[in-house]
Amino acid sequence: MDKSKKLTAKDFITIGIFTAIIFVVEMAVGMTGYIHPYIVAGYVVLLPLVCGIPMMLYYTKIEKFGMLTIMSVLMAIIMFVTGMGYLGAPLIILTGLIADLIAKSGGYKSYKKTVISNAFMSLWVCANYFPILVTADSYRKSLIEGGFSEDYANSLFRAVNPKTIGILVIVCFIFGIIGAVLGKKVVRKHFEKAGIV
Amino acid sequence: MEMKLDPRTKLFMVLIVSTIVMMSATTPLLWAVRILITLIPLVLLVAEKKYSSALKFFLLYVTALVVNFVVLVNSDGGIVVSLLTGYCGIVVQFMPSVITAWYFIRTTKTDEFISAMQKMHVPDGLTISLAVVMRFFPTIAEEYRHINDAMKMRGIVLGGGNVVKMVEFRMIPLLFSCVNIGDELSAAAVTRGLGGTVKRSSVVDLRLTVKDIFMMALFLSAAILFIAVKYIR
Repeated sequence: MDKSKKLTAKDFITIGIFTAIIFVVEMAVGMTGYIHPYIVAGYVVLLPLVCGIPMMLYYTKIEKFGMLTIMSVLMAIIMFVTGMGYLGAPLIILTGLIADLIAKSGGYKSYKKTVISNAFMSLWVCANYFPILVTADSYRKSLIEGGFSEDYANSLFRAVNPKTIGILVIVCFIFGIIGAVLGKKVVRKHFEKAGIV
Repeated sequence: MEMKLDPRTKLFMVLIVSTIVMMSATTPLLWAVRILITLIPLVLLVAEKKYSSALKFFLLYVTALVVNFVVLVNSDGGIVVSLLTGYCGIVVQFMPSVITAWYFIRTTKTDEFISAMQKMHVPDGLTISLAVVMRFFPTIAEEYRHINDAMKMRGIVLGGGNVVKMVEFRMIPLLFSCVNIGDELSAAAVTRGLGGTVKRSSVVDLRLTVKDIFMMALFLSAAILFIAVKYIR
């Protein structure tokens, strides 16, 4: 079993596929944020819930260390390319690494560890708030210059600011757990019955 | 006109455009730079004979730009106006990087991409995963359309207003087909020697030409100009 510790081409392809799926889900949910800024804060609820299903399916495919970390690196790259900035990138990779280590300690099979690991993995959603916090003034300016209304910017900063970020992270974590539990149920219902995993 | 650029040049363009997109344009000169770096990938798309996507992007970008400038100037509030400007603002803001990324994905063959990444000494794992991500977006869109068609045939339009059902009906079949495609893809990749221990050779011979160096210089100077005008003054 020693040889199988290294990631193979098949693993890399699995990583790529699930990263693409997660990203598409993220984009679909992200589009709703332009309706009202409070929904931007609501990402911490929506994204972990919806991503729970593909993530739990992904976890059934993970057997080796590195798959979650590489996924987070890819997410960071994609986030950068789509214009989310580079500030959140180290945080995304960090959460991926932590999630990977937790899942590893459970041998990638422990249900409890998987759920907690997924909760950490969902924290990448919060990493995208990072530029809003750190570069608040210039971000606000660029929003308004970028065509958003004053109201939008005001509401966004009422929803996401240094005071609320702690709550947002905790909520994100909790919904990461809920998403994982629900996702696992869905995976059991549909995929294990069909014999896919 | 033949205008094939090296994948490394295209990656460089993506990098520069994403950097510029993060900074907002404030003066007419900065807007000019932004629009210029958006138009170049569009021209390149035309040069590579991707007419329809080039036209679509062009129309979308120009419309958003016009609405953004005209409506924003004589804006009198109102929910529709603010929603409209919000959407157009987003399009104007992110369209450059979307167009460039699209240009990169559409005109780079996977073997070219892998060969380029190898030349830049990027770890194999990252290269393969990234190549799959790139190739997979069109596949997801296609599968999604098929699923939607199948749902329509059975009379399920939006899941009966039930949000959970809506997600479930779309996501589960999509995941099913994605997992299967993944298995097939792995088999195909292993057949082609991906993941072997020997260094892979490539049929495509990538070389940076004058065009590449010109394009890189152009984008680099655009970025430098942008940053210099915006921050150092």
